[in-house]
Amino acid sequence: MDLAALEKQLRTLQADAATRIAAAASTADLDELGSSLLGKRGAITEILRGIGALPADDRPKIGVVANEVRAALDASVTARRVALSAGELLERIERERVDATTPGPAPRIGSLHPIPETIAAIAEIMASFGFVVAEGEEIEDDVTNFQLLNIPEDHPSRDLWDTLYLQEPGRLLRTHTSPGQIRTMQAGGPPIRVILPGRCFRYEAVDASHGFEFHQVEGLLVDRGATLADLKGILDELAKGLFGSAARTRFRPGYYPFTEPSVAVDVSWPGSKDGWMTILGAGMVHPVVLENGGIDPETHQGFAFGLGVERIAMLRHDIPDLRAFLENDLRFLAGFR
Amino acid sequence: MKIPLSWLREFTDVQLTAEQLAEALTLRGLEVRGVERWGANWNKMVVGELLEVGPHPKADRLQLTKVRIGDGPILNIVCGARNIAAGQRIPVALVGAEMPDGRRIERAEKMGVASEGMLCSGQELDATDDGDGILILDPSAPLGVPLVDYLGEDVIDVDVKPNRGDLLSILGLAREVGAITGAPVAYAARPLKEGGDAVAAGLALRVADEALAPHVVLRVVDGLKVAASPDRVQMRLKAAGLRSISNVVDATNYIMLELGKPTHAFDRAKVGDTVQIRLAKKGESLETLDHEVRSLDATDLVVADERAALALAGVMGGASSEVAPSTTSVIIESAIFAPTSVRRTAQRHNLRSEASHRFERGQERRLAVLGADQVAALLTEWAGGLARSGRLVSGAEEVPAATLNFRPARVRALLGVALTDDEQVALLGTIGISAEAAADATKIVVTPKRSLSAAKGSARAVRVPSWRSDLEIEADLAEEVARLYGYERIPTSIPSADLPPHRPSPTLLRDRVRRLLADAGLHEVVTHALVSAAQAELWSEPTALVTGSLAASEGAAGGASIVLKNPLSADHDRLRQSLLPSLLDRVDANLRYGATSGAIFEVGRGYGSTKGVPSEWTRLAIAVWGEREQGAPSAGATRWNLDELKRLLAQVAHLVGERPAYGASIDSAVLHPGINAGITGDRFAGLLGELHPASPTWRDEPRVLLAEVAIAGLRSGRLDVAQVSLPPTTPPVTRDIALLIPAATTVGHVVDVARKSVSRATAVELFDLFAGAPLAPGERSAGLRFTFQPSATGADDEAITAELAAFEGAVLRACGARIRGVEGQ
Repeated sequence: MDLAALEKQLRTLQADAATRIAAAASTADLDELGSSLLGKRGAITEILRGIGALPADDRPKIGVVANEVRAALDASVTARRVALSAGELLERIERERVDATTPGPAPRIGSLHPIPETIAAIAEIMASFGFVVAEGEEIEDDVTNFQLLNIPEDHPSRDLWDTLYLQEPGRLLRTHTSPGQIRTMQAGGPPIRVILPGRCFRYEAVDASHGFEFHQVEGLLVDRGATLADLKGILDELAKGLFGSAARTRFRPGYYPFTEPSVAVDVSWPGSKDGWMTILGAGMVHPVVLENGGIDPETHQGFAFGLGVERIAMLRHDIPDLRAFLENDLRFLAGFR
Repeated sequence: MKIPLSWLREFTDVQLTAEQLAEALTLRGLEVRGVERWGANWNKMVVGELLEVGPHPKADRLQLTKVRIGDGPILNIVCGARNIAAGQRIPVALVGAEMPDGRRIERAEKMGVASEGMLCSGQELDATDDGDGILILDPSAPLGVPLVDYLGEDVIDVDVKPNRGDLLSILGLAREVGAITGAPVAYAARPLKEGGDAVAAGLALRVADEALAPHVVLRVVDGLKVAASPDRVQMRLKAAGLRSISNVVDATNYIMLELGKPTHAFDRAKVGDTVQIRLAKKGESLETLDHEVRSLDATDLVVADERAALALAGVMGGASSEVAPSTTSVIIESAIFAPTSVRRTAQRHNLRSEASHRFERGQERRLAVLGADQVAALLTEWAGGLARSGRLVSGAEEVPAATLNFRPARVRALLGVALTDDEQVALLGTIGISAEAAADATKIVVTPKRSLSAAKGSARAVRVPSWRSDLEIEADLAEEVARLYGYERIPTSIPSADLPPHRPSPTLLRDRVRRLLADAGLHEVVTHALVSAAQAELWSEPTALVTGSLAASEGAAGGASIVLKNPLSADHDRLRQSLLPSLLDRVDANLRYGATSGAIFEVGRGYGSTKGVPSEWTRLAIAVWGEREQGAPSAGATRWNLDELKRLLAQVAHLVGERPAYGASIDSAVLHPGINAGITGDRFAGLLGELHPASPTWRDEPRVLLAEVAIAGLRSGRLDVAQVSLPPTTPPVTRDIALLIPAATTVGHVVDVARKSVSRATAVELFDLFAGAPLAPGERSAGLRFTFQPSATGADDEAITAELAAFEGAVLRACGARIRGVEGQ
């Protein structure tokens, strides 16, 4: 074999391969064709096997030609691949097309009940004034629920609390969170800043604004110099936190055996329906209660407040009937997501 | 306490409108429940004058009248009453008027004669009890004016707090009004003319127990005629919310409202010669005015004669001595009784009366004499009686006036307001708490049990009015100063000093759990803690599940169910132990509301009693039913199943660093015996399963799945701060082991053995579970994947291999399960 014959073989291969590359129908065919031409055992390599028969001077020459053919075919394959893959991509896209406009599965959205969430909102506001959360027992005794709170047996102020008693003498379901005041004071001395949320019970017929099970949040602050003015300041902030910064508060005398002076707090806010709404009771801790809690009323003083969680939640969420909270209709609860 | 303003005006001048007065009283601590215009329902009713009264041509019962109602046309009205005569002024309901009972007045023919309205009786107006005759008005009544403007009454309803018994009277409220307006307040006692025999002639008073009846006053009024009270009295009582009975009973009620002093009138003819105040005798009984026969207790104080008990002292009179139409002479009893004794008797007999309400709240001593005299005066005026001269009296008529010292500086420190000493004393003066000139006022009453000596000159003394027995300690005066000054004028400040040390909230973990479940699509519920006996019986949590430190921190469920002494209803007569019955109750309700699918949870308490000691524990309970996934046609319907419930539980348990371990089946009335498991663990334990097919709330579709778990820290725990080590650079390796599990063995047991015996595994997962041919019936093949994290040196390879070999032996011994093959690198 001489130089000319080898070169002719290469050129023939080039021309023939160019036609086949142009005719390749898919990138897969092209890949196969490419390796059959240009691969380790491809046609070019096959032709170059004859190179050993050439004289030494001719060998570099045929090498130049072979490289030229290889480069040309490589370029053709690349060009053809670009052309083919664009088409194939379009085809793939069409093949895979779906209707992505379906609404999709319904979201799995749960909800948190407004009663614990209202308690959490109150806790968050009060935390900014240094009040921490504590919780007590719901089964109480008469002594702590009443007597230590300056509500003696056979005192007419007991009429303020209709009580559910246990069969065990002296035991009852707490009628308010106020016994937590006593337990907090007994557990550790001042300074005290605490809120005590929890479930309470009363012997009470159920209607739109009363239930025999309900929730309260008690607040207690005891230090050396807290005043009625401080009580006003803190509770005004609480009201604004709950009902918006435009909310206004009205403080007026109230009556609770465990505070002296006692305070009733009304709130009104833009959009509130009925003018002044009573939201909580409060007052300076009664000296007898401080004493019962082991605190000297001559060196320390403070204030306490108690609010009905259901009432606050009703006002904030515009709920007309308190029974909805224990009814737990999922359609109602879904509103609190 | 309902106050007709015209009555209030008899004791002090009131220029304010009812609404202004209500607002002012509210701001001074006398909460006004409401303001009403008594008579506001008299629409289209006016004052008229009878011009002529003549016979009806066809009916003897009826009369024809001509009525003038001011400048308008003269009305022809047919009337059936007999008490009318020309010249009288009367209430006229015009055509179109609606009567209080709902009847409409139309133009009507009455036996052939047109009638253009109606003349009204007191009963028809709902103003008096007289239904026989027309209500004859005063000749001075202004013609043509709406009736409500002439007879109507503004009534303020004040919510009197238990410490202010003195305000259960028009006079007491007048004092508060006077403090607001600055107008003087005066009570002009009605003069009483006495005559005839002395009261002591034929009547004696014997008080057996002066501690329970420290002061008793009797009067006798003779020669009276029991009849209806004057119209104006009936109307006033009605406006104040009391029913008119007779002139005698009304006189006692009138004085009770006016002065706050309950008294009782006994028919003299039915009482013996001695009025006794004594404790009831064992076995004694008494028929009270409400015609209940009550068996008396030896601690009941009674008014009696020498023969029998006549009345429950301070609570209610007796039927045997009740004033009747035939009564001509009465004994008026006006006494001071011990408040506690009256309260106990009223409670024991479940008999709360206007009288007992007032006695319980304490009575001003001097009212005993005043009350007896004023009732007697009204009886002579309304019933034509004559009061016998003198009274029978036991005990002192007055008690020495109390003085109370206070430190104005202490009041300033408590209120946070800069009121001078003199300003404080002046404020107290407006409500009759007058300054005392006591130079050595040093004794300060801090609490009823504790007094101290104030520095000389630092305290002021005041005289406590006899009606203010509620003022006992220094803080009581501080409240009066604040109240009279006005809470709205006290400044607003934020306390600055003395912050307590930080304590983490007990709700930290609870809130994480709640949020996790809500984010997973569940709805939080809050259900009744009080349940029925049937609900409580559905459940008793196996106490063995929650043990060790978990039981100590979260409470071990169990003990006896806690039952109420005075339940409102059988549906809520005991405290729940498990949350599931009340949760199921809500599942049932929501199914009724059409929620065919749902997922709810509650974090709440259970309650129980062991040897009389109550305990409370906190649990998480979950109920799911129906479709888990909705609106995903591609995925097909996915229903809640045990695995999905376990996924939720695993996510919750992960918060306390635990993987739930499912163990032996639970014997319970609420869980399907074949579809349930117990969960045991140090930080997460409880149970789950499907609702028992025999449960009353069970239905074929949808099935309900339930879980109730104790979680360490749910009640008061904080979240652990995670302790992590940096992972080695080597990748984790896995070993898959196939096991043949015999029929009697649970997968939970096998997994439990795997987790315990292969301690080096960072995870053990069940990745395959197969039953059926070629396995024997009941046999199952399980694939367990163990994940290990080798150290960088690979030094623990041998240990891993050794552990897996040990597992092979252990699982065969414990579960009878054989290894079928091991794969992995």
